Amino acid sequence: MDAPSEQFMSRLQVHAHRRSADFELDVDFDIDGGILVLFGPSGAGKTSTLNAIAGLHPLDDGRIVADGTVYYDRAQGINLPARQRRLGYVFQNYALFPHLTVLQNIAFGLGRHRDRFEHARQWLSQMHMKEFADRYPHELSGGQQQRVALARALAHRPRVLLLDEPFAALDRVLRERLQAELRQLQKDLSLVVVYVTHSLDDAFAVGDRIAVLQEGRVLQQGPLDDVFQRPQSEQVAEILGIRNLFRADIVGTNLDWLGLTLQAEVTERTSGNVAVYIQPSEVKIIYPEAPVAEGLLGNLFDAEIITRQRHAAGWSVRVRLSNEQMIEIHHATTAYSKLDLSTGTTIRVALRREALQILRRGDPAS
Amino acid sequence: MIDPLWLSLKVTAVAAILIFTIGTALALWLVRHQPRGRTVIETLIMLPLVLPPSVVGYYLLIVLGQQGPIVGWLGIQTLFSPAAAIIAATVVGLPLMVQAARAALASVDPALEQAARTLGCNEAMVLWRVSLPLARRGLLAGLVLGTTRALGEFGATLMVAGNIPGQTQTLPLAIYDAVQTNQHDLTTQMVLLMTGLGFVSLWAVRRWEPSVGRAK
Repeated sequence: MDAPSEQFMSRLQVHAHRRSADFELDVDFDIDGGILVLFGPSGAGKTSTLNAIAGLHPLDDGRIVADGTVYYDRAQGINLPARQRRLGYVFQNYALFPHLTVLQNIAFGLGRHRDRFEHARQWLSQMHMKEFADRYPHELSGGQQQRVALARALAHRPRVLLLDEPFAALDRVLRERLQAELRQLQKDLSLVVVYVTHSLDDAFAVGDRIAVLQEGRVLQQGPLDDVFQRPQSEQVAEILGIRNLFRADIVGTNLDWLGLTLQAEVTERTSGNVAVYIQPSEVKIIYPEAPVAEGLLGNLFDAEIITRQRHAAGWSVRVRLSNEQMIEIHHATTAYSKLDLSTGTTIRVALRREALQILRRGDPAS
Repeated sequence: MIDPLWLSLKVTAVAAILIFTIGTALALWLVRHQPRGRTVIETLIMLPLVLPPSVVGYYLLIVLGQQGPIVGWLGIQTLFSPAAAIIAATVVGLPLMVQAARAALASVDPALEQAARTLGCNEAMVLWRVSLPLARRGLLAGLVLGTTRALGEFGATLMVAGNIPGQTQTLPLAIYDAVQTNQHDLTTQMVLLMTGLGFVSLWAVRRWEPSVGRAK
């Protein structure tokens, strides 16, 4: 049995509706292979969505299909029990069976096959955990438990893999390694993966597509980069934690941001007060002596540096503009090395016209 | 002393099996299905703990008697036979089993049962492979407490099974007789034996209790 080389399905369509006393879930999305990140604040319905796909929560309407196998269809009266859906589910706290060894945990879903322990052992070595076969879950570290949970979920060869905040409790180094392993596994097994997280790091590291959830609904879904480049609404931008989000009035073809006039790509259809954002990495700092490139000429402003912090990927600088508003700038460690960027210094920044994103107004009614 | 001891062990052994299966099933039903009127049902199951043995005995007389359902519907005569002693022992031991089993089963993390379902288990397999093994300490504790209570049963047994030497005279009844007939040595022996059994079982329960010294 060499499961890792086998090809599985790659399409999942979900429409699930469930109303309970204090919550209404109404999600609609589909994935064609790859990893879909379900992103949203806690209470947005991410775990409920996974439970709906797994068949662990009753639904009152919808249709869920995995590669031609109908899991649930209200209209046809189909509701496949969880045990027949053949999916792998990695629960938030791993849910390893405390009374079973690592090997028994992994073999749990393999029925009574004579070679189930042999098969489980293969998965253990795939996860680089051969020597832990006879340990109990409480004797393992968080990262090891995570690997066992993943092996257990994959050992019975699922079509779909569901992960609920799988790496939340792990340190950064371990998290990055497991994220990479997950991507590799997804490719090797051609799995459809639904990955719940509320961490942007996680979403970027593993996701192909993202669905942004709030209050039981999908606000926007699409390829990860698309959604981040063009959040459809202020709500989405806020949930994604996009920095430098502000409101401005449209005046002719420009924006008026509390007294600061910005050139922007204003279309005829937008008017009034709109939400605007610029990604921190798109804000450029201008060298005082050097000639300014053509594209940067439009929105040049003086700004005072308020704080400057080092991150893994570079620097994060907060500056105050003349209208008293703050802007965040991210730049690489090697950039601007000749400039004095200490707190209190005044610098010139460019908010490129093309980098200013005008968002569709969030509809507070829905 | 051998006759009543032997009879007590036989009666208690059968009662233990009944207490364990009926008690676990009742606890499961209460935990999983949360039936309507659960509080009333639970209170009824607990009632033998606080009622005087004569009251429990009287109810059993009605149920097992000539006008009762066991004779009327099933045609089975149980009064003043070892079977009546078994039933009395089961009824008084059951509350302790249900109480312990209910707590133990309710404390099993539902995520583990969910995980078992996604791994292909039907409900019976979830129970057998996950819920019961994880609740085993509580179930054992309930079994030992209930069985010990059954072993010490006196009042209700006297009313429904009588005190027939060699037939329904269990150890507690034999102690009563020995006291009545001034057999001091025999009384002392049997009293010490009962005390020892009670001590050992309570001690064992302390060791098995889920909250005491359990690895997490």
